[in-house]
Amino acid sequence: MILACIIASVGLSVAQTTRVSGTILDDTGETVIGASVVAKGTTVGTVTDVDGNFSLNIPSDRKTLVISLIGMKTKEVAAGTNLRIVMENDSRLMDEVVVTAMGISRNEKSLGYSVSTLKADELLKARESNVINSLAGKVAGVRVTGASGTLGGSSKIIIRGANSLDGNNQPLFVIDGMPIDNGSQGSASNNVVAGSVDNGNRAGDINADDVESMTVLKGAAATALYGARAKNGAIIITTKKGTKGSKLSVEVNSSTRFDSVLRLPDFQNEYSQGTYGDYDLKYSNGWGAKIQGQKVTNFLGQETSLQAYEDNVKDFYETGKTYINSIALAGGSEQADYRIGLTALNQTGIIPNTEMNRYTFNANVGYNFSKKLTSRTIFSYNTTSTHGRPSQSSNNPNVLADVVNSLPRNLDIHTLKNNWRDAETGEQNGVSSDGKSNNPYWILKRNKFTASLERVVANEMLTYKPVEWITISNNLGIDFYNEKRRQVTSQGTFGDLKGSYQDDNIYNQVINNDFLVTLTRSLNSDLELKVIGGHNIYQRTAKRDILDAKDLTVDELYNPANAASVINTASSSRKRLMGIYGDAGLAYRNFLYLNVTGRNDWSSTLPKNNRSYFYSSVSSSFVFSELMENKKILSFGNVRASWANVGSDEDPYQLDFVYTPATTYYAQYSLSGSFPNSGLLGFSIPRVYPPENLKPQNQVSFEIGTNLKFLNNRIGVDFTYYYISTKDQIVSVDVPLSTGFFAKKVNIGEVRNKGIELALNLVPVRTRDFEWNIDLNYAKNKQTVEKLVAGNPDLIYNLASGWSGLQIQARKGEAFGMYGTIWERNEDGQIVIDETTGLRKIKKGQRIGDVAPKWTMGINNSFFYKGVSLSFLLDFRKGGLMYSGTVSSLRANGVAAETSANRGETFIDKGVILDASGNYVPNNIPVANMQDYWRHIANASNTEGSVFDASYVKLRELRVGYQLPKSWIRGLLLQNAEVALEGRNLWIINDHVPHIDPESSMFGVNSAGEGVEFNSVPTTKSLGVNIRLSF
Amino acid sequence: MRKIYYIVLSVVLTMSTASCDSWLDINTDPNKATEVDPDVLYNYAMMSWAANRCSGDLYFPLVWGGQTQSTGGSKGWGNVNVYDISPYSLGNTWKVFYASSGANLQQAIKIAESASPARPNVAAQCKINFAHLVYTATILHGDIPYSEGWNIAIDYPKFDTQKDILEGLIVLLDQAIAQIDVNSRLTMTKYDLAYGGDLDKWVRYANSLKFRIAMVMVDKDPSKTTMIANLLNANKMINSSAGDFKIPFEDAADKENPKFRYFKKYTNGVNIEFFANKLVVDPLNAKNDPRLPKYFDKGVSAATFIGIGANDEAVTGQTALVSSFVFRAKSPELFFSYQEQLFLEAEAYARGLGVAKDISKANQLYKQAMIAAMKYYEVTDADINKYVSENLSDLTTLSDPVREIHLQQWIDFMDRPLEAFTQWRRSGKEGFEVPELPIPRNASPAKLMRRWTYSPDEASANPNTPSVDVMTDKVWFDE
Repeated sequence: MILACIIASVGLSVAQTTRVSGTILDDTGETVIGASVVAKGTTVGTVTDVDGNFSLNIPSDRKTLVISLIGMKTKEVAAGTNLRIVMENDSRLMDEVVVTAMGISRNEKSLGYSVSTLKADELLKARESNVINSLAGKVAGVRVTGASGTLGGSSKIIIRGANSLDGNNQPLFVIDGMPIDNGSQGSASNNVVAGSVDNGNRAGDINADDVESMTVLKGAAATALYGARAKNGAIIITTKKGTKGSKLSVEVNSSTRFDSVLRLPDFQNEYSQGTYGDYDLKYSNGWGAKIQGQKVTNFLGQETSLQAYEDNVKDFYETGKTYINSIALAGGSEQADYRIGLTALNQTGIIPNTEMNRYTFNANVGYNFSKKLTSRTIFSYNTTSTHGRPSQSSNNPNVLADVVNSLPRNLDIHTLKNNWRDAETGEQNGVSSDGKSNNPYWILKRNKFTASLERVVANEMLTYKPVEWITISNNLGIDFYNEKRRQVTSQGTFGDLKGSYQDDNIYNQVINNDFLVTLTRSLNSDLELKVIGGHNIYQRTAKRDILDAKDLTVDELYNPANAASVINTASSSRKRLMGIYGDAGLAYRNFLYLNVTGRNDWSSTLPKNNRSYFYSSVSSSFVFSELMENKKILSFGNVRASWANVGSDEDPYQLDFVYTPATTYYAQYSLSGSFPNSGLLGFSIPRVYPPENLKPQNQVSFEIGTNLKFLNNRIGVDFTYYYISTKDQIVSVDVPLSTGFFAKKVNIGEVRNKGIELALNLVPVRTRDFEWNIDLNYAKNKQTVEKLVAGNPDLIYNLASGWSGLQIQARKGEAFGMYGTIWERNEDGQIVIDETTGLRKIKKGQRIGDVAPKWTMGINNSFFYKGVSLSFLLDFRKGGLMYSGTVSSLRANGVAAETSANRGETFIDKGVILDASGNYVPNNIPVANMQDYWRHIANASNTEGSVFDASYVKLRELRVGYQLPKSWIRGLLLQNAEVALEGRNLWIINDHVPHIDPESSMFGVNSAGEGVEFNSVPTTKSLGVNIRLSF
Repeated sequence: MRKIYYIVLSVVLTMSTASCDSWLDINTDPNKATEVDPDVLYNYAMMSWAANRCSGDLYFPLVWGGQTQSTGGSKGWGNVNVYDISPYSLGNTWKVFYASSGANLQQAIKIAESASPARPNVAAQCKINFAHLVYTATILHGDIPYSEGWNIAIDYPKFDTQKDILEGLIVLLDQAIAQIDVNSRLTMTKYDLAYGGDLDKWVRYANSLKFRIAMVMVDKDPSKTTMIANLLNANKMINSSAGDFKIPFEDAADKENPKFRYFKKYTNGVNIEFFANKLVVDPLNAKNDPRLPKYFDKGVSAATFIGIGANDEAVTGQTALVSSFVFRAKSPELFFSYQEQLFLEAEAYARGLGVAKDISKANQLYKQAMIAAMKYYEVTDADINKYVSENLSDLTTLSDPVREIHLQQWIDFMDRPLEAFTQWRRSGKEGFEVPELPIPRNASPAKLMRRWTYSPDEASANPNTPSVDVMTDKVWFDE
């Protein structure tokens, strides 16, 4: 209905138009494909087709067309029909304007640091619910890791290697000048996705359809004006807006996609559930009898013949469906411009009964009160609701992945599904007879996790230009959201028979104000000076109330009055930051640029005497190609260099030794008791010992780079070398528990990241009808922990703890590494076997290897042939380790394919044993049985058994598009129409992790930990259709 | 134009400096306290410790590994390797020793001693429990951090030898006893759930702890006989069941004994996983001990109480299960009992440790111990009298009275696995312990467990953790 109205109104508006048409050629006489043709002062426009032709209807009052294409000089011509327009190559390539810190627009060539900008088209390619994932493989030095296949799950970005020990390695997200929150409030303070749902990170709320461009500021020089908050880089997002003096235009973008499990484990299909070779209903595993059609009693008490159901896990997962539909209206009058966008994202997951619905409304309105005073108001609202997102890892009866993976091979998933509860009693029919393994369908139907989120990001920018060379502007913004989560566990759920629920109410608010004065002056004909002075106020408030209600009386009534025990936990925090900053830029002619910035911050979170800190940056670019006469081979070239220093503060309330009122005392198996006990309260000292004299932490970075373009843009090279040193980091150092504390907060260490980034653009073929583009980006980073604590060279820093002694640690002289239990080896590297058990001997607390990759690379190939385009993105990762809890479970439970070998036979593990005279001789001690062998290999404590090389090659994106010829859509009021088949994460071409996708993590985005996965929901591949129409 | 520039500049400067400090003075957490009484820290510490002692991390693996109960194999908890102590058990128990319980007790002591006026009695109360906690930790693991422990200024606390730790605990207990001022009114009373601030009981408890430590040490360090003699002669140890040190649980949701709550949450309130071990049942059956129906629920179709080996397959309807009485909601967690004191005293006389060997004195104490043990489990006086008159052993007639004392002490610890494990190890040289334990079915390593290995978290965070860390190695006191 709305659409009909819009089309009707479009119909009205196009009634007063004039038809224009023509052909565009380059200076060699070749037709130019994809050049933009716009009626001046409007957004009415089109692009040239494969024959360089265009035709469109423009408002009758418009007489000029603007023709543009990157690499060509923009041209204005009088409107008319059958025009023949010749565009000239632009020798001044790189005149692209990018948005940098504080919303300051700069010419890319003038920058002393490397930036990468992704335009709307790239972001909409095979678009995901989380726009962050669109960055994967596209920008050198930017690494994106999704945690799981959960709908709306979190994605973590690491730019140029992790610099922080404390886990705060996420870049700052800034939308139209407003720094927004990118929290990912996990279940626990330690930010591990444990026993809980992957609730995603808040940058995932950004709606790709409203984004005009996304600029990645990688180095500190680029982000120095943001200070502390952007020490890990910044993602600067500019949203789309309308154009003043243009008629209404409408864009419709619709995607339909189908998601399925990217990789299912390889299962054995020879052995039933049981133990040591005997069929036993008590165990949901694969250690039972050989499946030979023998008669057994199944979980329903019926007599059946034992048989293997090869697809029982595959059939559990469904095809997820994603529908993303957006419509945007834009236009403007002489004084005002507007754009209104509406997007609906409706998604169902691969896990039955899971869904996510997100609706986004975005309005961007500009108004000129006068020539001097202008305003822009941006408002964005989104509401997201999810149902049935699954719990992951452990310590929760609702964890699904493990239950599903360890389903006995002899169990028919359809029988399980159709008999999820007893028809008569309503009681659950569990997978195993011991009442420990829940029927997954019971959990899916009765124990749904629900969450709803409402978020508003709004800002108002006022700009006053009293005279031409002075601009005074103020940008006041607020970002707040309220998220309500509820995890219910219904009565009769194994592991929590009495039922319980948890309500988690999260409120987060960011207020930011920037006041800027910009002075631009030409000092003489060659020298231009631009000075910016600014003042910033930033306040972040967070509140969280958790209600745990246990022991329910009435089934499925989730109200605190229906619970015998209710525990409330409240927390809140507020931090404030104030800063003044300045930026002075000098441009000499159009080839030499110099920028100096400085900022002083005052933070509420630091001790009073150390609360103020200053930092600065210098950057410069020299466009040497401007001095060259002959640009036939080298069409553009610059060298750039920058140096920056950034300070940063701390989380609130970390300075005092405070006592926490305890709500519970711990007991294993989720049996923590609640205070008051016998009417008494309990308080506890902090787990983290507070710091004595905290200083702001300090990061120094340096980068040097060059951008070269050859042969009229056919070859482009961008190379950067960087060096980042982060000192005096404020971190919670894990201390041995024997100190009485879990950690202490101190300024420690120095982490260095050195690396190179290379971006290559090639156009190997460009003919009249056909073009082939290759974009390659490569990044190599070397991280070294230079020191931890002066005077204590042996200190070990635990960045994050996995489980069972597996830890991600920082140790001097090494990169962040995975530590845990390894197999004992003799001098020749052979594994030492225990001479009594025949099982491998272990060594605890050893380094296993690096967690971060050695290098990453993305290669995108695009082909254009007439109206057809084909592009595919390959994503490479080399190096780094992964510990897989899923693989460990699959093997320990005897369901993994490899566990079926040698059962009931003599098996001697490869290795050596110590003989009586103390020499290592080849092992000849057989293991007692394969169940004990695999339980030892895959034991959660024996880390090495489940550690794999995390390298991979993946087909990340694939898109085949077809732009409908103008002749087809003529008369449909359409300016442009494109249909495309697109896919994402389609194929793991090569990897070394068995059973699962090598990209999974249990650590939240705010953890320094990575490389550990624990029963995550499998990741997905998706394939679908996209239709884009513009009117 | 200059003017505007100056105006703007001054606005910026004013905004940046005026009232900036007070605007930033917000760094105090509104949800936490900067000062508390030691009492509330003590309560948190004791509940954390009590809950650990009677829940999945410590109790479950120890009742099976120590063989006072049985898994029932695949008919019960599961056919498991009872020596496979999970890293969670090791890690969480270590956290209790050093952080949730240990560090809070240390802080409570600090606050009590630095308060004005000082509260020496509170400090003493906390120290006595702290000594007991550390005793538990070393007895389970062997060498552990003590002298450098609970001190954030030391990055890697060293591991002291068990002997040094036990000696240190004796010193600490003496300090605590000396610190007690019976005239001070600044005692912890309401928060003292065991004794309600009765300082005489605290002194007796402290002396009993010293006695227990001496009895653990004496085989390795015969000089401890002097201390045993002194303690016996001074007669200031636990002398009635009112002196039992125990922490209560309530019959209210989330406040019941964790063992009870385990069944409530997972098995509809019915124990189907903790079976009677024949090592306990058989000697009780032999003497028709009235504790049998208190300890166990008979198999529904069984005529007698039938026990099985630690990981043997239970027979449905036949094998006895640990009783719903033992696993009741309000069952307190018992840290030190009168009967245990009496058994130790009986042993000292039967062996002549520091005192002259006196079997009839030992017999008298043994009888009192048996009665106290039965009373603790709410056996009726009539049943007790019947047992005493018909079945109570007379140590003076036994060829090995010490063995009988050890056995009954161990049986009394059926529901106190850590004490049972300790008692078994100190009851005789390797191979001569009471009772003689078999290797549980499917246990690996196929050698008797003699200690718990260290917390994997400590091992990876503290380079001083001994690299040789084997479950079958003996700790210092274990001969």
